[in-house]
Amino acid sequence: MITLIIPAVFIGLLFHGIHRKVIARIQERPGPPIWQEILHTLKFSFKQTWIPKTASMPMYVFIVAVSIAIWTGAFYIVFSGGSLLLLFAVFMLHKITEHGLGLSSGSPYGKFGAIRSVMSAASEIPLFATIAGIYVVTGSLMISDITRYQEIHGPLLTGAFPIAIAMYIVILSKMHYGPFSIIEAKEIVSGNRTEHFGVWRAGLEVAYALKTFVLLAAFVLLFIGALPWYLMLIAMLIVLISLSFICAFTPMLSPFDAVAMQTVITGVLAVYIIILGVIG
Amino acid sequence: MFNLPIEGEELFALEFGDIVNYFSLYTTTLFLFATAFIIIAIIARPERQTDIVFGTDAVYTKEINQDNLRFQRFMAIACGLATLGAVCSGDLFNFSLFTALIGITNIGIVAGVNNRYVLNAAYNYGIVAMVATTFLFGGASMALGTCGTLSIWELAGKGLVPLAAKMFLVLGVMGEGMAPFYIAKAEITRAPGAPYVLMIHVSSLLIFLRVIEIILTV
Repeated sequence: MITLIIPAVFIGLLFHGIHRKVIARIQERPGPPIWQEILHTLKFSFKQTWIPKTASMPMYVFIVAVSIAIWTGAFYIVFSGGSLLLLFAVFMLHKITEHGLGLSSGSPYGKFGAIRSVMSAASEIPLFATIAGIYVVTGSLMISDITRYQEIHGPLLTGAFPIAIAMYIVILSKMHYGPFSIIEAKEIVSGNRTEHFGVWRAGLEVAYALKTFVLLAAFVLLFIGALPWYLMLIAMLIVLISLSFICAFTPMLSPFDAVAMQTVITGVLAVYIIILGVIG
Repeated sequence: MFNLPIEGEELFALEFGDIVNYFSLYTTTLFLFATAFIIIAIIARPERQTDIVFGTDAVYTKEINQDNLRFQRFMAIACGLATLGAVCSGDLFNFSLFTALIGITNIGIVAGVNNRYVLNAAYNYGIVAMVATTFLFGGASMALGTCGTLSIWELAGKGLVPLAAKMFLVLGVMGEGMAPFYIAKAEITRAPGAPYVLMIHVSSLLIFLRVIEIILTV
């Protein structure tokens, strides 16, 4: 499993590059080469690294390590067929790391990014709707059981489409340059990552690459089922490109609208799950 | 209870009669995460907040009162310990008790800031936490009245706990974990002490994650 982490990081970074390229081409810009994010990460790894005098030490450094650790754990959970509840926990803990990143530097921009990250925890509520819905449909929260269920009953993408939409929105809310990316809005510089440079930024890029890889892999496993590795990568790429299209066409929402929209989506899904539970 | 396909394998269980405190893969993850942030609250020095001088391009660093920060650190450690209790408790009453303690210590972390706006916010959170306690213990009482036990181990997989009791528990946790309220108010931008403020969010999210596991299990 550990030997798979490094390829997953590189594929995740490549996905980030493809994401930027697709958005750029839709907006009639040439865009960066697709390996740009890999180069970025390598560049940051060897740049001068510093810690602001105002930073809370060792929290400023620790939070980067936690970020990498939780997504490595999530990778393990997904590919060992572990509990979906544990994956949900990782998604929530990611919010804490985002918050800690912003708070630890002492920068007002970081702090605003941190505040927005907790506000956008509303984006995790559709995930809870996804988990509840999957539990109602399959009777299990173990990813291994869910993939087995799909081998017998067919993909959940068609069998429980609204639940797939909920998960899709969760992934969309975590994508760069998306309508819900309020923590990275340019009016607050780079948001919660403003003061993390050099090797700390490289660490964050690694964590976020793993995050993208895990999110896309989880979506494919939960709603399409277990596939050979090359088909899995193709399916993940298709999901990613569809997300890039949405990111390219939609403006970034205001924090209030982002939270309101995610809450409405969760409300609609809650009604669907209640109906599903009563009828089922 | 670990034949339920919810939270992964059992790692350790400690029996006290029908009350069984247990560690599953899920609760152990939460426990370790809380432990890591308690250590951070103990060893980390707080950040020095920078702010922009209104109407200019100048930036200044705020002075922080060390006595207030010591109190915040104490409350953050107490909050972390209460969180540890809440995530590994195998009993609905103990869970409610630890969660109520998290609410109290959260107020303490906020109230440690010597600023009248932040203190006013802490007063408001206190009211929310008190109201939430009613729901929390109400939920546990309803579970006891209906099932005759508060042991999560005994109740697991039986579906005996009424939906209203589960909803009360969730409402109680939402009130005690004050991160969403705190974040929605301007006071957080005035409050220094990143490792301690972060403990509010760690505890709020961890008890929310724990209550989700409880309501799915019982």
